[in-house]
Amino acid sequence: MAIYKTSYVIIGADNPGTILNQDHMPRKGELVTLNKEKFEITEVLELVPPRGNFHYIHVTCRPIPRKKQP
Amino acid sequence: MELRQILHEVDLFEGMTEAELDKVAHICHEKHFHTGENITVEGSVGDELYIITDGFVEVMLGGRPASSAHVIVSLGSGQIIGEMALLDQGPRSASVLAAYEPTTVQVIKRKDFDDLCQNDTRIGYVVMRNLAADLSFKLRHRNLSDR
Repeated sequence: MAIYKTSYVIIGADNPGTILNQDHMPRKGELVTLNKEKFEITEVLELVPPRGNFHYIHVTCRPIPRKKQP
Repeated sequence: MELRQILHEVDLFEGMTEAELDKVAHICHEKHFHTGENITVEGSVGDELYIITDGFVEVMLGGRPASSAHVIVSLGSGQIIGEMALLDQGPRSASVLAAYEPTTVQVIKRKDFDDLCQNDTRIGYVVMRNLAADLSFKLRHRNLSDR
């Protein structure tokens, strides 16, 4: 089973970002909840080559404009 | 979930056989923390490595005085903390607080870790390689945060 070790960096908000393991590859445009706040993914890149089952991913996010929030 | 299966999902142990994971599981001790509870304190002496198996933690710098502390990153399941003090035996580089209820960690003491690495040099090599890769990943995250 693939594990995606993902580094989330937030641009445009006072949020320090997060590193966590997840079971799916994040996608551009996807909405994610970090520290109880929702963000939109604007960039996804593979930071370094995978090792075994582990993939190393970097994600950049931005706050969701208020009217876009579900 | 069985501890060996949990360790399978932690990249610190990537590349280990089932038998090697059993040896690691043998030196792990589970601990639970409440929200806001300190796992490590910046500047203190520490001889334990923590593997987050459930919940989230906040890594904080500049806690002297405590009111000036700021969070530099949150870490979730599968991440490790306390590795710097384990490796270089220096003081804790940051404070870490549980940010989720409950936060569960597996604790490995330096003495047990050193004994395991010396008695089984393949485990020692794999863990040290993966520890270096984890520090590198955290540094890359920090660099990208500063863009």
